[in-house]
Amino acid sequence: MEERRLRTLPSFLASTAAWLAYVFLVLPSLIVVPMSFGDKDEFVFPPHSLSLYLYRRYFFESTWMQVTVQSLVVGLCSMIGALVLGCGAAYGLDRYQFPGKRALTLFLLSPIFVPAIVIALGLYLYLGRFHLVGTTPGLIISHTIITMPFVIISVSAGLRHVDRDLETAAMVMGASRLLIVRRVTLPLLRPALVAGGLFAFLISFDEVVIAYFISNVQTQTLPVKMYSTIHWEISPVLAAVSTLMSLLSLSVCLFVAFLQRNEQR
Amino acid sequence: MVAVFLSPLIFVAYTSLVGDHGFSLAYYGEILTEPLYRRVAEISFEISILATICTLVVAYPIAYHLAKRTPRQRALLVILVLLPFWTSILVKSFAFTVLLGRAGIVNTMLGALGLGPLPMLFNRTGVMIGLTHFLVPFMVFAILPSLLSQPPELRRAAELMGAGRIRIFCAVTLPLSLPGVVAGLLICFILALGTFVTPALLGGRTDLMIANLIDFHIHETLDWNLGSALAVLLAVITAICALAISRIRGGNLFGHT
Repeated sequence: MEERRLRTLPSFLASTAAWLAYVFLVLPSLIVVPMSFGDKDEFVFPPHSLSLYLYRRYFFESTWMQVTVQSLVVGLCSMIGALVLGCGAAYGLDRYQFPGKRALTLFLLSPIFVPAIVIALGLYLYLGRFHLVGTTPGLIISHTIITMPFVIISVSAGLRHVDRDLETAAMVMGASRLLIVRRVTLPLLRPALVAGGLFAFLISFDEVVIAYFISNVQTQTLPVKMYSTIHWEISPVLAAVSTLMSLLSLSVCLFVAFLQRNEQR
Repeated sequence: MVAVFLSPLIFVAYTSLVGDHGFSLAYYGEILTEPLYRRVAEISFEISILATICTLVVAYPIAYHLAKRTPRQRALLVILVLLPFWTSILVKSFAFTVLLGRAGIVNTMLGALGLGPLPMLFNRTGVMIGLTHFLVPFMVFAILPSLLSQPPELRRAAELMGAGRIRIFCAVTLPLSLPGVVAGLLICFILALGTFVTPALLGGRTDLMIANLIDFHIHETLDWNLGSALAVLLAVITAICALAISRIRGGNLFGHT
């Protein structure tokens, strides 16, 4: 009996620590949900009565909607840009051997590791030369660059699972390189493309540091607006915005997990 | 095909070069000698190192717990780690201002227990909590593979030889997971060093980090050269850590085959 308890006590402690850590991780994402149903412009937890007041403010105050639309536009455009460029890069890196390939891979993926502030500054100075700072195209270019690595990783992983024999078979039957890519490789890559694209969109939609540098008052995105709101005048509407954004993250996350499970089957 | 990815390559290369544009060594000299910059650098390193250690303390139990579940349970529990990973940093910062404020939830609960309100926001504590929360998923995903790749036979062998759980953990599990831990520490350190949002929103006036100083120079004093020099220093430190990570992982920086 005594020995048994001694054996289980450490593992009990270990799993308690783990569960406390899980709670710490998830709590901030969950706490905004009840807050968002508050009925007044103040922070009371728990709210006195439930209402959709804050959501109404979010949806009907023009500034919030304006920045949301801006974020959606930038997110979608940079997703497409990242998909096109990232897919080409991943295909080239996977199928061709050439000198400096490893350095190039590292370079293409570097936006993941280089601090956002450094990239933001580089883009700010660079795009400034072309008068693109403060414009929507400038934002789209910036976000394409930082989301592309995620597409490359996703598509590279997908390419490794594509059966090369299918491509060889198509080639034997006389299909051109382009036709093979279009009719064989791309359809097989669809799950990887969907996952990479969704992540690219989500990253662009959540990104704040670079958008903060590149956008101006007219072109600011939702995260930039949130940033300045938290910084200057914490408004309860943020709870509603945060809930919706968490919901978006969660659904993308679950959808991709679902896709991957289907693929494994 | 090469041309397709050569254009963004040139673009990024050019951009990174332009970041360096217009500096002479004088600016670096100024950074190294001016007390303000030394102070900010010290604060940044202090916060980053502390936050990284806190992250390890929180993340290791999670990774260990995940590694011991069945694949099905693990898939579900990983969502708990992925959710904050994909949650916008702004949502998290906002949540922490609500949780940690003077009239926030944590202080209300402490008050109910008869403890005075603790200042947890707009100071070092706020930055530490926010940063740790931000870093934990990265650490978990760095450690988890090194725990999962340990053959279960090792544990069983140690058990058969009469080792207790703590002994097994200290003599087998922990040493074998060290490469993952070191990689995680380095990843978290460079991420912490470059953070901008958390210290800006949760920190006080004295918790300025390098990134905030860069922002200050670009937006307020318009001293682009100094800002750029700071950014280059930050990038160099990051690159050194990234190289170290790639060494640990056998030349593979991003941890996938």
